[in-house]
Amino acid sequence: MIVFRDVSLVYPNGVRALSEVSLTVARGEFLFLVGSTGQGKSSLLKCITREVRPTDGEVEVDGQALSLLRPGDIPYLRRKVGVVFQDFKLLHNKTVWENVAYALQVTGARSRDVLRRVPRMLDMVGLAHKSKMFPYELSGGEQQRTAIARSLVNNPLILLCDEPTGNLDPQTSGEIMTLLARINAKGTTVIVATHNQGIVDRMRRRVVRLVNGRITHDEERGRYHVGLG
Amino acid sequence: MWDWGRVRFFWAEVVQNFTRNVPMALTAIGTVAISIILLGVFLYLRTSFDSVMKTLVDQVALSIYLRDDARPGDVRALAARLAADPRVDSVRYVSKKQAIEHLRQTLRGQFNLNLLNTNPLPNTIVVHARHPADIPVLAQELGRSPAVAAVNYGQGITEKLLRAERWLSAAGLIVVGLLLVATALIMYNTIRLTVFARQREIHIMQLVGATGWTVRWPFVFEGILSGLCGALLGLTALALVYHSLAPAFVVNLPFLPFHPTSVSPLHLSLELLTIGVLVGMLSSLLSVSRYVEVA
Repeated sequence: MIVFRDVSLVYPNGVRALSEVSLTVARGEFLFLVGSTGQGKSSLLKCITREVRPTDGEVEVDGQALSLLRPGDIPYLRRKVGVVFQDFKLLHNKTVWENVAYALQVTGARSRDVLRRVPRMLDMVGLAHKSKMFPYELSGGEQQRTAIARSLVNNPLILLCDEPTGNLDPQTSGEIMTLLARINAKGTTVIVATHNQGIVDRMRRRVVRLVNGRITHDEERGRYHVGLG
Repeated sequence: MWDWGRVRFFWAEVVQNFTRNVPMALTAIGTVAISIILLGVFLYLRTSFDSVMKTLVDQVALSIYLRDDARPGDVRALAARLAADPRVDSVRYVSKKQAIEHLRQTLRGQFNLNLLNTNPLPNTIVVHARHPADIPVLAQELGRSPAVAAVNYGQGITEKLLRAERWLSAAGLIVVGLLLVATALIMYNTIRLTVFARQREIHIMQLVGATGWTVRWPFVFEGILSGLCGALLGLTALALVYHSLAPAFVVNLPFLPFHPTSVSPLHLSLELLTIGVLVGMLSSLLSVSRYVEVA
């Protein structure tokens, strides 16, 4: 599903974010990307959405080499990849329903599809009763659920989560991770970049550790401290 | 099949973006309005001044004085040539008799023309050219005819007038050009601020897979709306000032090159409206394209 072959990334300011990263993520897999801040987790995720272009190496998503994509193809790649952020990135002037519908509407979905899919998605994340509320009227966990619903409404093959529990309390973090596990169980490949030790250790999924832009450890059913001795 | 839901979403986006940040939208509209007022006043004055200059230049005529002993064949040939020349706009024949009569009228009471034994005035052909600039060349060519005694078009003064007209017209065009660029830059910068304030939203649109043009269209229409509202506001202000002040100007300051009837308000309004809408649209397009290409 996702293949990194000797990928290096140096930003225009000279900062080296990734060094010769090779990684394969199978369809339907659940993977934690761990490492402290500044080790290259977000940069690796940005390579998958083509927000950045590797300086060297190749990234493949769903059998497609991203270096061969023309700028006009990038939006279509992004429809296969949902993204969830620590700061939710919701539109504050839109209701929960509108935020979720927005992802469908800007991709040109027909209105009857919007009317069919948005309620189903809100039901799945448990927010059907708050569909008319604005993001500032919701708790952090509810805002993150809205963001997850938005990222999934286009039926992506892959869900990337960049510190999805970074702004949430432990209990809410647990609920969000349960939701992500459910989404994964339905066949969506999920990659979660995090430094939340609790959730990694509890879920015991594949753990990949990044240090200074290199993959130092990659373990099935790993723990947060994998590779740290 | 046409999906009204999608059309409704698109327009709702445009209107919502436009009305969400009212102070910002008003700043953009106000800037456009002020720019349009400045541009309108200058375009108006320039058109008016141009028409005054044109009236002056159009008065330039070529007088061809015929020899008294000219052979009728030569005069006929000259007349035929004038009739066939595409540069000639109109030809008027003034006979010796008409000329002395005209002079008599002009000098009524100041000079007794009966004192003259003979009529010293020649038969004359008065020529107006389509383009006054052609007159010096025409004069030179026609002066060679054996029927012609002399030609006169106010040599020296006419050339100066024509040169002045050319320079002033070019200078006016340059000032209009500079003013247009300045207007466009001011509008561009204001509209860019409104786009800058929504960078986050553009980023989100791109992340959920909106194509470049899906991101751009609402902004482009917003730019058109800003341009249109600003231009209409500016035009309303101009129309109010024009109707209350123009008559007073014409009466009280007759020496100003101000010629209200020579400017078509409808034409000028359409020009300004087009400029407002185009600059608004292009400013938005350029501003949003910068962010779209970043990703």
